Amino acid sequence: MSAVKNSASGPKPARGPLGRLWHAIWADWDLMQLAISVLLVVAIGFAPLVIRSPYYLGILILAVLYGYVGISWNIVAGFAGQLLIAHIIFIALGAYTTVVLYTRFNIMPWIGIPASGVVAAGLGLVIALITLRYGLKADYFALFTIALMVALKTLFLKWEFVGAAVGMGLRLNEPSWEKMIFSTKEPYLYIGLALLLAGILVQFWIYRSKLGKYFLALREDEAAAAALGVNTSLYKTLALLIGSAMGGIGGGYYMMYVTFVEPPQVFDLGLNVELVLAAPIIGGLGSLLGPVLGALINKPLAELIRGTLTAGRSGTTLIVYGAFLVASILFMPRGITGLIQDGYLRLKRRLVPEREEEVRRDIA
Amino acid sequence: MQFDTFLQTLVNGLFIGGVYGLVSIGLTLIYGVMLILNFAHGEFMMLGMYVAFWAFTLGGLDPYVSVVIAAALIFLLGAAIQRGLIQRVLTAHPLNQIVLLLGVSTLLIGLVQFFWTADPRAIHVPYETEVIQVGFLRLSIPRMVAFFASLVTSVALYVFLQYTKTGKAIRAVSQNRDAALLMGIDVKYIYMLTFGLGAAVTAAAGVFLTPTFRILPTIGQSFSVTAFVVVVLGTMGNFIGAFVGGLIIGVVEVFAGYYLGGDVKIIASMTVFILVLLFRPAGLFGRKRA
Amino acid sequence: MTLLEVQGIVKQFGGLTAVNDFSLSLDRGDIVGLIGPNGAGKTTAFNVIAGFYRPNSGRVRFGGRDITGLRPDQICKLGLARTFQVVRPFGALSVLENVMIGAYARTNDKATAKAKAEEALEALGMTGLAERAARDLPIAGRKRLEIARALATEPQLLLLDETMAGLRSAETDEVIEMVRKLSQRGIAILLVEHVMKVVMSLAQRIVVLHHGEKIAEGQPSEIVRDRQVIDAYLGEVESDAAR
Repeated sequence: MSAVKNSASGPKPARGPLGRLWHAIWADWDLMQLAISVLLVVAIGFAPLVIRSPYYLGILILAVLYGYVGISWNIVAGFAGQLLIAHIIFIALGAYTTVVLYTRFNIMPWIGIPASGVVAAGLGLVIALITLRYGLKADYFALFTIALMVALKTLFLKWEFVGAAVGMGLRLNEPSWEKMIFSTKEPYLYIGLALLLAGILVQFWIYRSKLGKYFLALREDEAAAAALGVNTSLYKTLALLIGSAMGGIGGGYYMMYVTFVEPPQVFDLGLNVELVLAAPIIGGLGSLLGPVLGALINKPLAELIRGTLTAGRSGTTLIVYGAFLVASILFMPRGITGLIQDGYLRLKRRLVPEREEEVRRDIA
Repeated sequence: MQFDTFLQTLVNGLFIGGVYGLVSIGLTLIYGVMLILNFAHGEFMMLGMYVAFWAFTLGGLDPYVSVVIAAALIFLLGAAIQRGLIQRVLTAHPLNQIVLLLGVSTLLIGLVQFFWTADPRAIHVPYETEVIQVGFLRLSIPRMVAFFASLVTSVALYVFLQYTKTGKAIRAVSQNRDAALLMGIDVKYIYMLTFGLGAAVTAAAGVFLTPTFRILPTIGQSFSVTAFVVVVLGTMGNFIGAFVGGLIIGVVEVFAGYYLGGDVKIIASMTVFILVLLFRPAGLFGRKRA
Repeated sequence: MTLLEVQGIVKQFGGLTAVNDFSLSLDRGDIVGLIGPNGAGKTTAFNVIAGFYRPNSGRVRFGGRDITGLRPDQICKLGLARTFQVVRPFGALSVLENVMIGAYARTNDKATAKAKAEEALEALGMTGLAERAARDLPIAGRKRLEIARALATEPQLLLLDETMAGLRSAETDEVIEMVRKLSQRGIAILLVEHVMKVVMSLAQRIVVLHHGEKIAEGQPSEIVRDRQVIDAYLGEVESDAAR
């Protein structure tokens, strides 16, 4: 919600710019979430100073990626309420685009990854047009995206140009910044963090703008939105375009990090759960902080459980993510961010008690 | 394609189609009554297969005997999952319902993989390669038995729904929940029962397939997708439509497998699916959407 | 110039004719009431005018322009706004943000939208509720929000669909006052109402629908005496008014 006006009963103390910023953040839950997200990014930026092990850095890198991809899904499903279940198709398409451009056309990933965003957005546009043209509602739309995923998997399994069943990989012989291939983890982490930061800022900007408010209206009540001048088809398409473009970019980065891709790996509902759905759901779908917080808690926790409690036994991550999702939906529908928000609101009410009076007067 | 090959392929398609039909009947039953798409449906089939496997491996039970145990166990599991988890999201946003079921699906696959590993399992019954020759047709015994078993089970379920008091109560709830409530039907209990039944018949279908399929924790997933295709094709909630749709998809797939190769035959059902979603979303037995 | 011209619209659902050959015209500054028994087709007529249904035949002209078959959002941008019978607030958004959605129909700038939204809230006496979550409002507040949102789209014609249903007497009086003030701003009003007190005090002209057809049109004093209307509808309502 937008900024709250403080109904102070006395003269306000003079504040410097930093004080004003601090106050503004505390007064506005959106800004608060933004601040926390940015702080988390900065904190992770310092991680390589204390964490040397490539294994742990690897977990962080994936957590950062999950956060970014989570944001891309959050915009489509969280803000605009679209039942885009198989979002993984954009990540998969992005990964393939990047590796094909690199391997077959010698195009460096710095160009290839943005290009992947464009290609994924192309698919997003096709999906949007089909969905709107044929009036695919809710459940049918969800099934359509899943069917598309299976169809694409089969297609890619047979298509020689993209490696068919064998898949495609990067040759890792000569690391360089130009090729975005590195021998250590740190550069991947920083690129990922840059991506995540960009995602956080884009998400915030959208949320506060007319575009974002129209998305929310679309989610809350499509008919009411239309009656108020919202071109629902246009905005549904925009949401899908943004989500798919961002997803495609995430896929490109994913490709550069994992260095190998094959159809059953990426066109997979299990990966969809882990890479796309888990973080925003657990963190809080529709919130600003949700995807980031969810990813940074999920991934390390899942890895911890897998590493220590079960000695890496197969199936552990599936159990963890499955249980997280179920528990989240049943007990924490607004996610961890929702819990934090409740705490924040309680704290605020205690610190600024005179607002209670104003609130009560309005209800009477 | 020569006539005898055509007929052979057709028969093979019908055989597997019958099993698809049974799986889809379970799914369409759940949808018809609770208006929820069971994204964890394939996992109940998978679990049925594992029960049959262990019954065979540990107790020497033929799958067509242990199917009763499997169905009973999965029925209880399904009912428990419905009562404990799904009941709570029946009125929630569809996204929440879908994610919950995806979570349950992931959880079930993970548990199976954890306890029994991802190694493929198989049941080897003495008659698994036996064939009956009818003219030029070679009818595989296990597949034929699977078809007839599925058919019998489907008919039994149909009779149950049409002629028993509980069955009629289930149909009442699927037609008009509020009216059923007002007539004194315990709707929550019906939901639990229905979900259990849907899961049980799917498990049974899985068991029928065990002599001919490798068993993996993830085997349910492709059946789930196929079941969705069948249910939409046969009109969501339509019992007979599900069986007929299953036969159609079975045949389509086997023919596609003949021409395109076994690993990509699923593209045929996906194509059918997308065409139905776009051009006749109400399915074969429904009215075209306004 | 006639602001709204509804010409012989027919709307059928399967075998049921909900609205049959319905015509109506409305000028700037008019307040017209549309009444009729339940199921008479009032909301269906509204939905056709506002673009939510396509009529089977007939045309709707607004500001001289044929708007039949246009999308609801296009019609809103042309200056025709509507409220819903069962209110539809954007629950997760604040009251102010709800109204801003309406204001955004006229501007892309956030600050401008906010200012327009605050104006609309003021007109409906809701300024103090700006930061409240819409889902926390009681029914009276939600009804006002519905009007404020529509008002923020700067309409020339406002369609109010049973705005007073479920309100207490004092609340109804307040809303009547607000609607009157809106009319004084130059906004034409077409309202569907069951609460006769509202229609009689606000409307300059009343149109009566019965089984989807217009059976009477005229001044309130005439309508109350019309034989057909009394038989079809007012008979019930007199007992309402007697309460």
